[in-house]
Order: sequence, then C-alpha cells, then structure tokens
Amino acid sequence: MKFIIKNANIVNFDSITKADILIENTKIKRIAQKIEGKEKTINADGKFIFPGIIDLHAHLRIPGDGQAEDLLSGSKAAAKGGITTLFCMPNTTPSVDNEGLVKWIIEESEKINIAKIIPIAAITKDREGKTLTEYNALKNAGCLAVSDDGCSVADSLIFRRALEYAKMTGLLVISHCEDPSLSAGGAMREGFISSKYGISAIASISESIIVYRDVAIAQYLDVPIHIAHISTKNSLEIIRKAKKEGASVTAETCPHYFSFTTEDIEKHKFDSNFKVNPPLGDMEDIKEIKKALKDGTIDCIATDHAPHSYASKEQPFETAPFGFIGFETLFSSSYTALVKGNILTLEQLSEKLSYNPAKITGLKGYGEIKEGNFADLIIVDLEKKWSPSQENIVSKSKNTPFLGKELQGVVEYTINNGNIVFENEDIR
Amino acid sequence: MEKWSKKHLLGIKDLSRREIDIILELSASFKEISKREVKKVPALRGKTIVNIFFENSTRTRMSFELAAKRLSADVVNFQSSASSLNKGETIVDTIKTLEAYHPDIMVIRISSPAALYLLQKYTKASIVNCGDGKNEHPTQALLDMFTVKEKLGTLENLNVLIVGDVLHSRVARSNIFGFQKYGAKITVCGPTTMIPYDFENMGVDITYDFDTAIKKADVIIMLRIQNERLKSSFFPTIREYVDKFSLTEERYKLRKKNALILHPGPVNWDVEISSALKEKVHPLILEQAENGLAVRMGVLYLVGTEKRSL
Repeated sequence: MKFIIKNANIVNFDSITKADILIENTKIKRIAQKIEGKEKTINADGKFIFPGIIDLHAHLRIPGDGQAEDLLSGSKAAAKGGITTLFCMPNTTPSVDNEGLVKWIIEESEKINIAKIIPIAAITKDREGKTLTEYNALKNAGCLAVSDDGCSVADSLIFRRALEYAKMTGLLVISHCEDPSLSAGGAMREGFISSKYGISAIASISESIIVYRDVAIAQYLDVPIHIAHISTKNSLEIIRKAKKEGASVTAETCPHYFSFTTEDIEKHKFDSNFKVNPPLGDMEDIKEIKKALKDGTIDCIATDHAPHSYASKEQPFETAPFGFIGFETLFSSSYTALVKGNILTLEQLSEKLSYNPAKITGLKGYGEIKEGNFADLIIVDLEKKWSPSQENIVSKSKNTPFLGKELQGVVEYTINNGNIVFENEDIR
Repeated sequence: MEKWSKKHLLGIKDLSRREIDIILELSASFKEISKREVKKVPALRGKTIVNIFFENSTRTRMSFELAAKRLSADVVNFQSSASSLNKGETIVDTIKTLEAYHPDIMVIRISSPAALYLLQKYTKASIVNCGDGKNEHPTQALLDMFTVKEKLGTLENLNVLIVGDVLHSRVARSNIFGFQKYGAKITVCGPTTMIPYDFENMGVDITYDFDTAIKKADVIIMLRIQNERLKSSFFPTIREYVDKFSLTEERYKLRKKNALILHPGPVNWDVEISSALKEKVHPLILEQAENGLAVRMGVLYLVGTEKRSL
C-alpha cells in the first residue's frame, strides 16, 4: 500500500516540521515539502502527526481472562488510543514465563495485525520470585523485557541474579516496586482520607523502599533497569539521584498519577474505578511527578491498562480488584494534563509517548517519524474534545476513572506498519 | 418537630447537628415505649425491614430487630458469612435479590468501609448503616450521644476521651464526627500503632498518656480490643496494654466526679476495664444497650416515614 499524508505538522521528540509524508508498504519512504502523486491522500491540514505510541505497560489478560480483554479487543482499543506497539505484562493465568506462550501471543497478534504486541515475560517462573525463567530462549522468541509485574522479586539475591543474567541476554528488567509487607490488604494510599473512612491503606514508602533497593542493585552491577508506574514523590528523588550518578535507570509513570488524587476517590464515593495499584497519591505527588516528567527523571508515560470485567469491579472499594483501562485515554489525558497544563511541549510529549519507550526497549525503526522508519504514526486533532463513556469505549472493560471527564486531543487516524488500523470512529 | 428529609443513615459525617437533634429527641419519646406493658406502637405497620448482615453480629442485630418489631414493622434477617459469599453470590447480587421483596428499609452491616455508597444504587429502600468495616457505626454514636445527653443534660462543648484501638474502630470515627458537631474537644488515646495515620487532621488531640487525659474528660469512651490484634504486633502483650490503657481502679479515681464511662460492649473485663470496677461502670454500659434500642427505633421511624411530616 502506498499513500501520502499532506500538510502534516510532524511532532518528533526534537522538532515540529510541516511536510508531506509518503508511505510505501510498511515504511516511511519520503518526508518532503509538496509530495505529489496519484496515490491515496490524507489531508492532515491543521492536524498533528505523532509517531505511533509505544506503551511499555499493558495487561491484555491473555491467557486466562478473556472476559476482561483479549488480543483483538485490546488491539482495537490500543489503535483507537493511537498505540501502535504495546508491551503486555505476564501476570496472566498461566504466567507468560516460557517461549511457547511468548511465540503464541506474537503469532496470534500478528494474525489480528492491528497493534504490535510484544510480550514481557516473567522474571521468575510463575512470578513466584524463586527461579529465573529462560531469558535466552525468551529473547529468541521475541521478548525484549522481563518483569514480575504485580509484585516485586522479594528476594534481593534472586533479583540481583535476574539483573546480572538479563544483561548477558540483552533483556531489560522492568521492576514493579512494592514491599508487600507494607502494602498487604491495602486498597488506597495511606493518608487522611483512608484514616477518615477506615479504609485499609498502603504506605507510600512501600513503593520507594523497593525503588531504592532495585536501583541500588542495578547501580552496583552497572546494568540497566526500568522502574514501572511511579506514583510517589519519594521514588523520584531516588531515580533522579541515580541518573545524576550516571546509572542506566529509566522510569515510567501513568496518566492517572498526574490526573487524580485520593480526594477524587472520596469525591466519587469510593467508586472502584479509582482503585489502582500503586494507589493514587496526593497533590504533592502530582506536582513532583509533573516536575520529573519535565526534567527527564521520568522517561515515559505508559498506561498500565488493566481491564476487569464489569462484575469484578462492581464491588465495594476494599474488595474490588486493582486497576483500570488506559489505552483509549492515554494520549488525550496526557495532552490535557501536561501540554495544556504547560508542563511539557508537544515535542516532549512525543518523546515520552514514543521516542523514549523505543529507545529504552531497543526497538529499532520506531518512535520517530523519519525516512526509513516503520510507518507507525497517528494523526491527532488537538482542538477536539471528547469524554469517555460506557458507549464509546472500545475495550471489553469500561472501568476507568476518566469516565465522564472532558479530555482534549482526539486520535483521528492510527497507521501501523503502513496500514490504517483506526480511522475516526471506525476500526477496520 | 422539623421535617426529616434524609433517605438513608449512612454515617454521622453526613448528618447535620439539627438532624442529630431530631433523632435524639424522637428517641427519647420512644424509650418510654419499651417500659410499657404492651411494648408496641403501630408507627411502621405495613413496612418491611430487612436486616442484612454480611458480618456476624448478635447484639446489634437483636437491637435492630426488636426496634423494628416494637414499631410493628415486618422484619426478616439475612445473615451471610464471608464463606457463603465466596461461593459465588456477590454482595451486589444479594442486595438485588433482597430488593425483589420490595423492602422499605435495609439495615446493613458489612466489613467493607464505605460500601454502602455502592449498595444504595441497587435498592429503592432506605439504608441504615449498622457498621461498615472501620468506617462508621452511626447508631452506636447516636446511642452514646443519647446517653450523654440524658446523663449530663447537654452535648455542648464536652471533653470527650476515646481510649484504645482507634485504628480499627468505626465506633470511634462515628463518635468523633458526632460529638464534634456540638463543639466537643476530642482526645484519642491508645497505642501509637492503633492511632490512624495523619489523624490530627480529624481535629482531635492525640495522647498516649491516659492518666493525664482522664483528668479533664467529661466522657470516656472505652473501645473494645479484639484478641486477634495481638497476632499482628499492634502491642506486645495484654499485660502491657493494660498497664498503659486499661481503666484500672487507680485511673478511675483520677476522673472528674461526673465523668461518664461508656463502652460499646461486650466488655473484655480486665483488658479495657478492670473487673473491680464492674459494679461502678457496668450499669451505665447496660443502659447504653437500652438506649440503643430507643435510638434505633428513632432512626427506623425517621427513615421509614421519610418525607411524611412528623
């Protein structure tokens, strides 16, 4: 397939340029002023073109819980959100901890061919924190990273071995930082509101203590580490310091951590759509997370897309499962809070959503709109507003704290590998 | 009396001072009914009340059941242990099923705090909270306030001391919200491990010194200590707890002359309160139970006849 995008405002991590783009087959063939041709043309006048979004942190619930999401519904939701590549976490049933499952997910998602899905395999067998999985075989099967997401590797020695062994195979270790003895039974961040309503709570230090440990081990061994879903200001100081010392530590946060606080939980009467792990923090955390996005302490924004069936979220706050969906709101919630909120420039947003995630995982040919790169890009209307609702959400699950909130910035087209996989309200 | 307009009683934090006054005034007139030979009035005749207990309770359930019966309502009880919920029926399903019987009032006890905000969406009935986890136990606070008003003649500007396991206590929270509406100065006193995080923001004083705090208190609310707390290292031994936080004979002597000693019951004698004080403090604690019945009649009447002029 060959087509031209005319009058594009191309937003890369380092520049915004106005040009036409010629796409041929899977690649960006040419970027230049005034490309003419008989090919199909998309006029992007007044719109902005970003590289396809790369989401480092998603849950597709496959294998195990097709009620909540599956590869097809997840791919469609990702495409609607402008996500062209997504990394799915291995906390499934069974865990993705072997090459067979990795290959199966890749093959099935290639058949669907709407989003590039790259499985993240478990650090340890069954995510039990005891024995390492076969990193070499996993790498050969197509993995780029490992994580025991959902929990930390409790044993510091096993975690050290994982980092050492991963270095040899070139896999990135992604760490979910949580000290379970400090978080056990908790449903929200410990603070005044949890105390006022007697909700079992999670201390903010349960995250930062493990951030410290994991970064310290990685720094000691001089190996890369990526810290998942940062939610507290305490964690940021640790990462900022390590980066200053030259450690190859990278970090992500998620839109909800700069959009909502515990006060929103109270305001929404303990609606389980506001329950997530790590839990929502306070205004001070939001301020520091925004600052860290601006100064580069946080490298990227991921969704932690966590679908749950309606019945499983229709529960009291304390007993409901953690997590909510995020694909469809990633771009607009980030644009609304960060660019409209004067925290990031458009270029920096492009860096956090695409360029850095590609760089961190070593994805070559992605994350930037340039000649020769894969034709993964999205066309967005930055003026248009929308509001997520039960009706307009594509994901199988509708659980999101953004329901009913007004967001700015709408993805109009998603092009993946040169294919238009999402167009306005309609997915092929 | 003014018109009552609240559909539910979910927590004391949602009530105005005036609304508490209305409940307490009405309850005072209901207290007398239980002393009659025929202990029944037709106030809620034809109304159906379902007592729904997702958490075990004998005393509160009996109190609510009697209150409903003395108002001539039809009462049924639903008791569900946690294990039967694990078999599949969710809490929401249970409420929906019971809603099919068109009850007028659901009296609910549940272990999940703030869960009633969710459950109210699935029923047209009025909901009366009789304990939601660690959040609130509004009728307990109301009966405590009723007792204090009856004994001291006022609720204004009292020094209220709450002693023990504040962290796990819905009784403490509801009482704090309630007494504060009348200008009370509230002090909580218990092991550091049992005072909730950032609790100063509730507008209460925190102390670990029972001996000093008891001297200025007009009302002393002793909270129950659950035995299982020992396993979780909230305090090392009962002996050490008693040493610091039990109402002993010596501490009892330090109190103001008219100070009231309240306890939600049942008392663990020699843990929260020394058994040597039984004759002195038990009568009032038993009167609390009696007042509880009156207050629950008041609450059921008000939510059961909501929108009807009193």
